[in-house]
Amino acid sequence: MNGAHASAAPLLELRGISKRFGGIQALDRVDFTLQAGEIHVLLGENGAGKSTLIKIIGGVHQPDAGEIRLANAPVRIGSVRAAERLGIRTIHQELALAPNLSIAENLFLGHEPRRFGLLDRRRMIREAERLRDELGLPEMGDVRARVGDLNVARQQLVEIARALSGELRILVLDEPTASLSEAETEALFSKLRRLRAQGVAIIYISHRLEEIQRIADRITVLRDGRSVGTQSAAELDVPQLIRWMVGRELKGRYPRPPHQPGEVVLTVRGLRAPGVNDVSFEVREGEVLGFAGLVGAGRTELARALAGLAPIQGGQILLNGTPLRLRSPRDARAAGIVLVPEDRKREGLIMTRTVGFNLALPWTQLWARGLFPDYARRDAIIEKAINGFSIRPADPNRGVQTLSGGNQQKVVVAKWMEQPPRVLILDEPTRGVDVGAREEMFALIGRMVARRMAVLLISSDLPEVMNLSHRLALYRDGRIVREGPAACFTPEEVMIELTGAAIGCRPESDNNHTPDQRLPDRV
Amino acid sequence: MKSAEQARNKPVSLPVEEKSRKPIGLSLGAVRTFAPLLAAIAVLLVLFSLWVPQGRFLTPANLVDLTQQISVNAILAFGLTLVILIGGIDLSVGAVVAAAGVVAVSLLNTTGPLGACAGGIGVAVFFGLANGLFAARTLMPPFIITLATMLIARGFALGFNESRPLPIAEHQELFLALGNARWGGWLPMPVILMFGVFLLSTVLLHGTRFGQHLFAIGGNREAARFTGIAIARHEVLVYAFCGACAGLAGIIHASQLYSAEPAAGMGFELSAIAAVVLGGTSFSGGIGTIPGTLLGAIIIGILDKGLNQAGVHFSLQYIVKGAVILAAVWYDVFRRNRKR
Repeated sequence: MNGAHASAAPLLELRGISKRFGGIQALDRVDFTLQAGEIHVLLGENGAGKSTLIKIIGGVHQPDAGEIRLANAPVRIGSVRAAERLGIRTIHQELALAPNLSIAENLFLGHEPRRFGLLDRRRMIREAERLRDELGLPEMGDVRARVGDLNVARQQLVEIARALSGELRILVLDEPTASLSEAETEALFSKLRRLRAQGVAIIYISHRLEEIQRIADRITVLRDGRSVGTQSAAELDVPQLIRWMVGRELKGRYPRPPHQPGEVVLTVRGLRAPGVNDVSFEVREGEVLGFAGLVGAGRTELARALAGLAPIQGGQILLNGTPLRLRSPRDARAAGIVLVPEDRKREGLIMTRTVGFNLALPWTQLWARGLFPDYARRDAIIEKAINGFSIRPADPNRGVQTLSGGNQQKVVVAKWMEQPPRVLILDEPTRGVDVGAREEMFALIGRMVARRMAVLLISSDLPEVMNLSHRLALYRDGRIVREGPAACFTPEEVMIELTGAAIGCRPESDNNHTPDQRLPDRV
Repeated sequence: MKSAEQARNKPVSLPVEEKSRKPIGLSLGAVRTFAPLLAAIAVLLVLFSLWVPQGRFLTPANLVDLTQQISVNAILAFGLTLVILIGGIDLSVGAVVAAAGVVAVSLLNTTGPLGACAGGIGVAVFFGLANGLFAARTLMPPFIITLATMLIARGFALGFNESRPLPIAEHQELFLALGNARWGGWLPMPVILMFGVFLLSTVLLHGTRFGQHLFAIGGNREAARFTGIAIARHEVLVYAFCGACAGLAGIIHASQLYSAEPAAGMGFELSAIAAVVLGGTSFSGGIGTIPGTLLGAIIIGILDKGLNQAGVHFSLQYIVKGAVILAAVWYDVFRRNRKR
């Protein structure tokens, strides 16, 4: 590979970049260098700060502190436009295309060709076709086709073509292959190699270790907003990369609840739903079944199907041996299945109302039947929840949005506990909460288990899901790829399985994958 | 459900040909978009020519009259098309019609017709700019912003001449010609002005970079932002343009009535919105055309005039119009969803 660059002055240099969003330190004094003509992979778990870093490079965000130097001179990248003027182009993970416009129109958005002040549509189409042919992207098809009608792989090609249409010094790609087939991935890689040969510097975000082995010149690992280390491809050490990524102490802070499994509560057989391909598992009362996977693996889709939020297209769901028909969240709740959703602000809470309102809302049939609501009963429900889950401040009349993330999360869980459900699905229960609240959440999971609930724990935090679960299901591309007692897995094994690094191949099923339907798993 | 399954099982790499879907701008392909509207117009014309007694409907004079009656609504609807296309709404246009009318007419005797028109359109653009600035710079929803400016503009108009109509003096022939003259003895001036605005807004939306960016903003605001489009500036200009259209409409309307009425234009915004949505503009933004809006305005105009001449009671006219709008938009949504 291209090894001569290490000595040259870097094209892009970040020094001590910090960025805060509200209470979360997204980046903490990150240093990063990028050479002309290298492919530099950014690696890290979800929330490690990769996206924030490339958004700063791409002019979307401004750093709170630190310095950016381009070709040895300090620069300020104040806007996306400014970044483009400097030759920095970004292909974001959420495709930044206008679905109602054609390919050609998207390619030239912002710098449309004009004639006498009017749009020159003919030239736009001609140049789009030329660009397509020059870049060797015949797969893109007719440039007059509406982007919204294209599949995701083709939309991605449009994004890439757009990035290549201007002057290009630095190309940033955020998980570009997440929805590409093997052939399309290879085509992309050969394009990236060609750009590298032309001296373009490429920042490439990926989760897939296998890909990194194929194209990286250097790899930098971010964790918790800090840069942990950089390796060059020549001295690639995969176990070390994984240790860098996972990082945290794996034992100690996670009190796994005692495992005394009872009867099988929930049986899922061959379940099919949007984003869910043939999933089967069982979970017993008093048991935590953990779902480990990468963002976008389709675990949230599974949770939604089980909660009656997504149409079930095949397979069976049995509760205590009785088949269920789940057509709505109401059905799921009647059966005793409750979902604590990943996006609590949007799906878990009525943010404009009080703590008490939110806690009492699921139980109106207990306190508000008939004409005269039983306010005493309501207040009892609220008080029990606040005390039982130590929600702070313990004031039912506080607006729920004034609470900390951890306490909001406690409200979302507590509101279901007046009459405990049989199956509790927790989707990323510790995302965006601080360390203290995290530990309280772990203790809560222990209490649920003691109360003989079956818990499905979805978490992208590997140590968390590995240590809290009794059994672990490794989830990739909308299906369970391996399942077994959690104690039988090592983090390295799990990481390799989840990233599909094993033999450098990905299953055929990738072609059925429908990423456009998947929920934005990301904060 | 089955087709959804099939769609999912399609391999990711589709064959390369997959002949061109309809391009977005205006072209021959776009004619297909308008086919249902043109068909609806044809059906309505036939219907009313049979229904209205003594063949009084389908006469040249009656049709010219029809276009004259459409003009004010169409001009308002062209401006609104751009606003709705970027995901906004402007409820203030009806009240701005009145405000522009009273300002123009009260200036008429001191400044002459040119100054009057400039004043009327100026005040309308001012309201449009205010709408646009609030929409672009604050988090207030455009519905509320323009509901408020609608009240303010109405109050402003009612403040003139103790809320009584301001008559236009007979000798202001030039100003009166705006609403009443007929070019070559038959083509009404308002229709000519309407065509002027039609051409201007068609070119603006379908022929310029500015218009291209409006489609992008309406289709995916985030994408537009990531592309570096100055969204706020576009938004302000769109509302200002909509205001200018309302100003011109107000001047024509006053001229047609031989007086500026502070209470004029009540409910005009609703007819204009109806024309826009009938013409195929999507309320969620990103989809719409000016010619479609023109056809929508024509349909509303035919319904108004036809039902009137057929002697349908006005209470029933409202019900018929409501049902037609409901059916048309339902069909449009249905057609669009089937395509995906």
